[in-house]
Amino acid sequence: MYDTPFRAERDVSAKDTKIAAREVQVYYGDTHAIKDVSVDILDKTVTAFIGPSGCGKSTFLRCINRMNDTIDIARIEGLIEIDGEDIYDRRVDPVQLRAKVGMVFQKPNPFPKSIYDNVAYGPKIHGLAKNKAELDEIVEKALRRGAIWDEVKDRLDAPGTGLSGGQQQRLCIARAVATEPEVLLMDEPCSALDPIATGQVEELIDELRQDYSVVIVTHSMQQAARVSQKTAFFHLGNLVEYGDTDKIFTNPQDSRTESYITGRIG
Amino acid sequence: MSDAANPASPAASNNGARSIHTVDARTKKRNASEKRFKYYGIAAIATGVFFLVVLLGSILWNGVSAFQQTYLEVPVYLDPERLDRENPSSATTFTYNPLIAEAVWERAQELGFGDEFEDEGGMSPLISASAAAIIRDRVIANPDLIGETIDVRILAGSRVDGYLKGRVDRDSASRDRNIDVAHLELVDAMQENGSIRKVFNWDFITGTDASESRAEQAGIGVAMLGSFFMMLVVLGLSLPIGVATSIYLEEFAPKNKFTDLIEVNISNLAAVPSIVFGILGLAVFIQFMHLPQSAPLVGGLVLTLMTLPTIIISTRASLQSVPPSIRAAALGVGASKMQSVFHHVLPLALPGILTGTIIGLAQALGETAPLLLIGMVGYIATNYPDGIASGFLDPNSAMPAQIYEWAKRADPAYYERAWGGIIILLVFLFAMNAIAILLRRRFERRW
Amino acid sequence: MPTSWLVLIVLALAAVGYVLGRQRALSGAGGDNRKLHSLPSYYGSNVAMKVAVPALIALAAWLILQPLAVETTIRADLAEEAERSERPISLVMSDVRRVANGLDTAIERGVITRERAANMRTEFTDVRERLAEAGVALGSAVNSNVLEAAQRYRGFSAIGDIARTSFVLLLAVGGFLYALRESTPDFRARNTVETGVRYLLITAACIAILTTIGIILSLVFNTIEFFRVYPATEFFFSTTWSPSFGGGSELGILPLLWGTFYISLIALLVAVPIGLFAAVYLSEYASKKVRGVAKPAIEILAGIPTIVYGLFALLTVGPLLLSVFGDGGLGWMRAGTAVMTAGLVMGIMLIPFVSSLSDDIINAVPQSMRDGSYGLGATKSETIKQVILPAALPGIVGAILLAASRAIGETMIVVLGAGAAARISGNPFEAMTTVTAKIVSQLTGDADFQSPEALVAFALGMTLFVITLGLNVFALYIVRKYREQYE
Repeated sequence: MYDTPFRAERDVSAKDTKIAAREVQVYYGDTHAIKDVSVDILDKTVTAFIGPSGCGKSTFLRCINRMNDTIDIARIEGLIEIDGEDIYDRRVDPVQLRAKVGMVFQKPNPFPKSIYDNVAYGPKIHGLAKNKAELDEIVEKALRRGAIWDEVKDRLDAPGTGLSGGQQQRLCIARAVATEPEVLLMDEPCSALDPIATGQVEELIDELRQDYSVVIVTHSMQQAARVSQKTAFFHLGNLVEYGDTDKIFTNPQDSRTESYITGRIG
Repeated sequence: MSDAANPASPAASNNGARSIHTVDARTKKRNASEKRFKYYGIAAIATGVFFLVVLLGSILWNGVSAFQQTYLEVPVYLDPERLDRENPSSATTFTYNPLIAEAVWERAQELGFGDEFEDEGGMSPLISASAAAIIRDRVIANPDLIGETIDVRILAGSRVDGYLKGRVDRDSASRDRNIDVAHLELVDAMQENGSIRKVFNWDFITGTDASESRAEQAGIGVAMLGSFFMMLVVLGLSLPIGVATSIYLEEFAPKNKFTDLIEVNISNLAAVPSIVFGILGLAVFIQFMHLPQSAPLVGGLVLTLMTLPTIIISTRASLQSVPPSIRAAALGVGASKMQSVFHHVLPLALPGILTGTIIGLAQALGETAPLLLIGMVGYIATNYPDGIASGFLDPNSAMPAQIYEWAKRADPAYYERAWGGIIILLVFLFAMNAIAILLRRRFERRW
Repeated sequence: MPTSWLVLIVLALAAVGYVLGRQRALSGAGGDNRKLHSLPSYYGSNVAMKVAVPALIALAAWLILQPLAVETTIRADLAEEAERSERPISLVMSDVRRVANGLDTAIERGVITRERAANMRTEFTDVRERLAEAGVALGSAVNSNVLEAAQRYRGFSAIGDIARTSFVLLLAVGGFLYALRESTPDFRARNTVETGVRYLLITAACIAILTTIGIILSLVFNTIEFFRVYPATEFFFSTTWSPSFGGGSELGILPLLWGTFYISLIALLVAVPIGLFAAVYLSEYASKKVRGVAKPAIEILAGIPTIVYGLFALLTVGPLLLSVFGDGGLGWMRAGTAVMTAGLVMGIMLIPFVSSLSDDIINAVPQSMRDGSYGLGATKSETIKQVILPAALPGIVGAILLAASRAIGETMIVVLGAGAAARISGNPFEAMTTVTAKIVSQLTGDADFQSPEALVAFALGMTLFVITLGLNVFALYIVRKYREQYE
């Protein structure tokens, strides 16, 4: 099944805007890391952020669920809305926001707990299950969505850290979807994985699109081309170009995008 | 910016079930528990700091008064009928005691206390037992004084000192056999008149320990010398041995069982209770080698063994922090391994080694338990060492041992001395740590 | 010749050797540095090393071994005297030593002549009186056996001293000549010196092993000696501790162990929650500024000597607790020194120990764990309680065990703050005592080292050593395993 490179569906014309960002600025101390970024991210779509290292794509991603709050020196200006609600509003509790906007990280980071507890952690803290049976159901559903159920169903009590790298990352995705988020942020989810595991995760991402708005940061242009419908190209903190993936890769408007895609900068 | 990134309007508002602008009940509960947890943390820090403040506060509160001492200033008539000008040393302190008491009694009469005290015998609680010896020494040094009236400043008795410092009051004096309320009245009058005064107590810092009944005379000076000689031993032995061990382990030791054995030994020694080192000192240095008891040399040897792991651990850390490129550079120009270590690595690691050594010394300076076992307690340090050899070999006390000794004595006047001793000890420790921190700041190197 | 002179002579010879060795090598090369195998200073160092090192090692060894050899010889003749006076040989031996030293002092002060000291007989002279004239006080009259032994002791020592001086000087001069002959331009001086230095480094490294051996031997031999005069089962299983120096002591360790563990438990109950919460706050919540102030402030507590804590317990905390729980207050406490007093103060002492160890361990939990948890919408406290602390648990258990070992081995706080009564009781406001406090009380004072009352201290020390060593090895093992997991 990996013989032919996997390729996602392209048509996204009729989707709603899920996340809207307007003139977002991010400063790390004195460094102006994100400059004037405005972008609309669609629901039930995979959006890829590409660009050379240090271009700000991960930083911008971390703004969307306010993970930058955990960094003391980070300062964010501008407007980011999810479903029309400003996420930097005073009334917003980042904890609640993050339940709605899940995140998967570059390096698989399962907790040193059992597989079951890893997945059950989110539902437990957010109080999603009334009883053990419901929790079991949520965990199974999440593991199935994470496309790892068949591999781990017999050893749910085994530590999550004992899985292989690809399994760990799928476990982390299952863990993220267990809290029933509406948006899933993925920060280079495949960069620590081998090609086969990468293929599995990419396929999973495409499936997740049925229910979520997925935003994925990636180093690999091939990956962006394979999994996303929309692509945003970042360069030196600016959002240079944003549009349909096919268009960006075949007919970029900006010369910087073209240089990057053809391998002249990066 | 491309056209695609500039949409007409933000996403349509969708205040569904999961609006993030209203905080749901569960999140409120979770945030409350978050706050509680954070307050536990703050409370823990506050408790720790509170303990520190109470500890330092009670040291200062109880100890500062040790740096003041009450003195009597009275003219003493050196009666030639009782003192022999030709042979001044023939008169013992028993001859001088009444002379002093009479002088004080006279002052009491002048102040209108003639009725309360019928003779000079009632004056003895006011006068330190050490006063006679001091005047006697002065007369022996200068026999011409006999027959004259000299103004002397002598130590007041410890109860009087306690009264001026608030340790003794009328209530406790009425229950005390050693002093009466009338004495305190007299002290008040004499203080007003200027013949009893509190002055800065140099003798506490430089003086010798005194016997159990003369708290007012006791000083920590000799014990300080004892500590000093001990620290010389510790420095002289633990620095070279510690540095040599670290150099061997870091730079030369092959990876084998023997090296592992040394490493395990060092890390375990660092955690052996200090009292066990005391047992070692007693059994090996005193019982087996017959080194003298209570000698700073033995104390220094025991503390050296205790300090070595600290120094080795910090020296190894600073040797490790010298980058391998320095070693490679030295070897590359044809230096031997030994030369690369001694000419390049060691000098670069030196600030770190010194910092670690000072901190190790500070630990050793405050250590008490092993000193108890090698006889540094129970010895009353009343003599200054005569010279360097005697400094190392003659029985002496050490600052922490002296403090312990004072804390054990029954007279509460000694508690004040113990607290005062702690202030001096802590001043040394803070100074040493400050030097270590300065050294680290000054020479800290980022590779 | 006094030892200090001998050392000075050897060092002077080494200094001369340095200069001569350097010169000889240089002149052999016709004054041309480049013709030498090594730098000139290495030739000098080679000679100095070969003069000083063997001579000084021999001197040190001789100084330690000679008294042993002399004593073994003398001791053999004292069996009869020991039997007669019904005292252990070691006591008689210490008498002999005292008399011998007394004679030395007397000669030094000119009270008696050297010949007189050697020929003195108890039948004709009151030795005790003569020595008193020299300012040497002896406890009892000297009998003829002891005096003869003392005279023989002095004789052997004198011969030994002469032999030592000659042997050491011979070694020094021998080394001097040998090394000087070596100092030709072709001689590989640097390699020789470096090998020598290397051996010195190894010797220094072995001191750690020697210390451990010293501790073990001094504990083991005296403990065996103790079990010879006192039954081991009584020691380990008796619940009574009542030493009396007149004999008939009961020396059961259980009440002491109980006191030790009770006090340590209270100390840990104080230190672990405070230390752990402080560490969590400092590493997860505190701003840089707060951390920069609070962390050193708490660590000051670690730099304060234990004698200070002891005094704090005795004079501040004890009376304070007494005023609350004593007769004036709740009436549970009879004196300021109690398990509670010592435990509380020891707990304060251990706070920085627990907090800085836990701080290190919490910081070793990778940031990705925190990110993962925050990314799921967990609050900080949920992250700490459910992710960080479970992940750090082995390390924290290790830290607590290390703190426990500290508490068990702590001496000054319990000596001053816990009281002296050995009892097994559940009331934390009663005075109890610990293993360490009893080691101190049995070994200070004028007890005879051979009596069970003094020897028991070594058995106590052995127990203490074994317990703390076990705890440490186990704790370090756990901590190391934990660190490897995240490296």
